Amino acid sequence: MAETQVLAKQKQQHHHAHHFMSAEAEFEASKQGMWVFLVTEVLMFGGLFTAYAVFRGLYPDMFYEAHKFLNVKLGCLNTVILITSSLTMVLAVSASQRGEKNKTAWFLACTLILAAGFLTVKYIEYSAKFHHGLLPAGFFHNETIKHVKAPLFFSLYFIMTGLHGLHVLIGMGLILWIFTRALKGQFSSGYYTPVELVGFYWHFVDLVWIYLFPLLYLVG
Amino acid sequence: MNKEHVSDRHYDKHYILSTKNACLVGVSLLILTAITVLVAGINLGRLNFIIAFLIATIKGTLVALFFMNLKHDRKENAVIFLTSFVFLAIFIVLTVSDLFFRGDVYVKGQLGFAQAELTSGAIKQPWISTPELITKGKAAFSIQCVACHGAEGKGNGPASLALKPPPRNFTSQENWKLGRKPSQVFKTIRDGIPDSAMSSFSTLPADDRWALVHYVLSLGPKPTEDTNEDLAKIGIDPSKQTAGSDQTPSITIDFAMQRMIEEAENKR
Repeated sequence: MAETQVLAKQKQQHHHAHHFMSAEAEFEASKQGMWVFLVTEVLMFGGLFTAYAVFRGLYPDMFYEAHKFLNVKLGCLNTVILITSSLTMVLAVSASQRGEKNKTAWFLACTLILAAGFLTVKYIEYSAKFHHGLLPAGFFHNETIKHVKAPLFFSLYFIMTGLHGLHVLIGMGLILWIFTRALKGQFSSGYYTPVELVGFYWHFVDLVWIYLFPLLYLVG
Repeated sequence: MNKEHVSDRHYDKHYILSTKNACLVGVSLLILTAITVLVAGINLGRLNFIIAFLIATIKGTLVALFFMNLKHDRKENAVIFLTSFVFLAIFIVLTVSDLFFRGDVYVKGQLGFAQAELTSGAIKQPWISTPELITKGKAAFSIQCVACHGAEGKGNGPASLALKPPPRNFTSQENWKLGRKPSQVFKTIRDGIPDSAMSSFSTLPADDRWALVHYVLSLGPKPTEDTNEDLAKIGIDPSKQTAGSDQTPSITIDFAMQRMIEEAENKR
């Protein structure tokens, strides 16, 4: 008896907006909105992937020569970090769906720390590139790469990983936001929309990196 | 109270990924990453790229299906998301096929050959500068050379920033690595300069190349004239009236571009 009352209370905790028929309709609409947003994200990164395809097609030898100047170990480490963070994120979402508030906050904190780890590794990589003059277009000043079109590779490298890094940074802000809300106990098995949708965003960031890693670091 | 809304029942059944399954997907993703890195270490030619791309797609599918819960989500959401990839594929395939196969259209069509015949060997003694050749050269320059050498031929085109050594400044007589006689400049345009961005333009009709020679030389002080020996060095018999077909067939610019791409691929 007491248990059902608690459950009923949890469901009442979140009042859905008046223009929705039910909390469920609100949740489904929010989720669909997120998918539509992710479509625009695919197309934004898509432009860069197309540019990559064009230039790799034009200068395959240059891509092969230039990619050797990226650190595969660090790139691989970052892939592992990001995949693990996706796992902790999905565990946070499941925990919040079950109404396990402490677990939710704990997994979100893990995700946040892993995200910070990703950006730290990225910082180390970027510093090395700056140090060796492996920079985009006119900023490029490296004597060891012979191919004249090499600056193009680093333009693509910095724009693609830079835009991705920006997404990681925004993702961290969003995770921090739901983390503080989770600490305040604002989510329950009846209302977890923000946790699930931030999760989508974070998995998308992971998805982009899954393609970026082999395309930039492992040019065959 | 009245009837329960249909979707509310669905709500109670909202799919929750179990910890075990989440970990299984996570471990699969890590194993697939390890495979990608290991396979990249083996040289399989073109197959390397295909394998890396396939594995990335498998990983992406796992993330979308399980982490993003697309497997148990409403079908319309899957359709929405997948549609973006369909459009991305159209974008990439059309752009890339335009880039690599446009040349075929021009060369295989009649236009390609007709154009080449018209522009090759039509000019008598093209190694001697004339105002007509300079005008013709200026037109070719604005298509072939401006990107690096700049509109005024000062070696400061938009692409020059990224080039080492920098493109030649035609308005000065300094630093002409391979000489500044017309025959020497012709040789440079024909063969390119090794270890620099100056590539061979041997696929342009010979007359166009001579026109370019006279145009770029007209931008600076008058060059030393060629002797018969100089012309003989590049395989031209001055007693004949035309440069003939040179040693390479004349083809269109688009085909020339494609040739350059193929050369780059072969070097790999």
